[in-house]
Amino acid sequence: MGIASRIFGLALAAGGFFILWFGMGSPADPLSYIYSFLGMIVMAMGFAFLTAGSKKDEKKPPPPTVTEIRCNSCDFKEIRDFQKGDYVLKPVETTCPKCQSTMTIEGVYMVREEPDEKDRI
Amino acid sequence: MQLGETSELGVLINIGFFAFIILFSLYGAKFQIWQYLKQIEAGLHEFKKMFIESRQIAIDTFKEFGRSEEEVAKDLDRWMDYFTIMPVDLDPAGILKRLDHLLDERRDRFQEFVAEVAPESNQGMNQNLENTLEVTQVLGLIYRVVRHFYLLGKKTGSQIMIMQVHMQLPDLLRLAKAYFDALGAFADGKPIGDGIGPLVVTKFAREYGATPESYNHEISREVGYYKVEAEGRTVYAMRATGPGGTVGKPGMAVKKLVDKYGDKVTRIITIDAALKLEGEELGRVSEGTGAAIGDLGPEKHAMEQSATERGIGIEAIVIKEDEAAAVGVMDKRILDSVPEVIERIKASILKRTKPGDSVILAGIGNTIGIGL
Repeated sequence: MGIASRIFGLALAAGGFFILWFGMGSPADPLSYIYSFLGMIVMAMGFAFLTAGSKKDEKKPPPPTVTEIRCNSCDFKEIRDFQKGDYVLKPVETTCPKCQSTMTIEGVYMVREEPDEKDRI
Repeated sequence: MQLGETSELGVLINIGFFAFIILFSLYGAKFQIWQYLKQIEAGLHEFKKMFIESRQIAIDTFKEFGRSEEEVAKDLDRWMDYFTIMPVDLDPAGILKRLDHLLDERRDRFQEFVAEVAPESNQGMNQNLENTLEVTQVLGLIYRVVRHFYLLGKKTGSQIMIMQVHMQLPDLLRLAKAYFDALGAFADGKPIGDGIGPLVVTKFAREYGATPESYNHEISREVGYYKVEAEGRTVYAMRATGPGGTVGKPGMAVKKLVDKYGDKVTRIITIDAALKLEGEELGRVSEGTGAAIGDLGPEKHAMEQSATERGIGIEAIVIKEDEAAAVGVMDKRILDSVPEVIERIKASILKRTKPGDSVILAGIGNTIGIGL
């Protein structure tokens, strides 16, 4: 549903509102009920056009899983994408580029989104 | 013009108005049930989609280990219906022993099946495959149960049945989505949130000089321990053996350690992930009294029994997580809680035990992706 249908919906809703208003304006008129019902129906159709096809929350892809490798001697830390076979506390083959010591996988994790601010009560 | 007027149009409007009232008072519930059924149907499509996709992921994972896709698919479909009958509880005496026996038997059958379908896999991978299989089975079970009540409700027109399924649907969808999203973690052997207990125990033991080589294997099924000297106390840091995905039998391990090291053990500290309440922070650390373990009963009973018989203090330190975080890839906030948990363990040991005492530190949880 594009912009055109929304404009059409808006016009329809506005037209419906006008008919409803017209119907309510003259209670002595025998057709006032008919105008009121017609106005409501046209308005409902207009709102249906306005809201139809609204995008659903698209499912976000999960955040990537990362592997955190730390040097066993100094403070060197490397974070890279998870590779199959990685596990926490696994000694890695590469040595620390800073001090040439052995390194260990200290964490395999993903960083998920924080909860919405409105949920923090 | 007003309602109740006797003009021709007024009469028509009056009839329309009362027809509307009568229609909705007689058939309102039917409309609502129809709406509920449509919503359950939409949920059911979602469950089916998750089950089919998870089945395919399981097949793709299994077929890497020596069998063709067709063979794996056939065997997996046969296994999807595997069930365990809970022991009779009319005579509750000895029920935990019987339940323990049944759970052992079930585990044996799972291991046998995985070894059959993935003949070229190793032991660690077998455990991950078992977990993958279990998740697929859970998704299949949820789908079949919801479908059962949906069809039965439709067939019998039972409003209460339809309403019950409808009311539970959001919760079931949340649970199924959590397991579905976690499937990749099990298939790839990534650590999950539930593994925080074993991780804390290993990191604690390593601080006091433990190594993978100093780990004593198989004190009970798939559970071992490090013996370390910490703050003048002997600590038996116990966890299931990783990095394959298993929870082992930690309750039986605690019992065996207590039996083995007897009166010297003065405290049991259990570390586990616990379900957080909505609004609570993920990775929040809490402590309390009792055995933190979420099994069906035998393991918790073994721990409580051992502690009670010898008058050993038993306490729990838990890390708060929701279902999705507990079965999904470990979240950074959960990993970041490790130093705080270790500090609390140290504080507990210093405050509530004396130098020369022995302490059992039990890390409870699934060890997938957590090395020794």
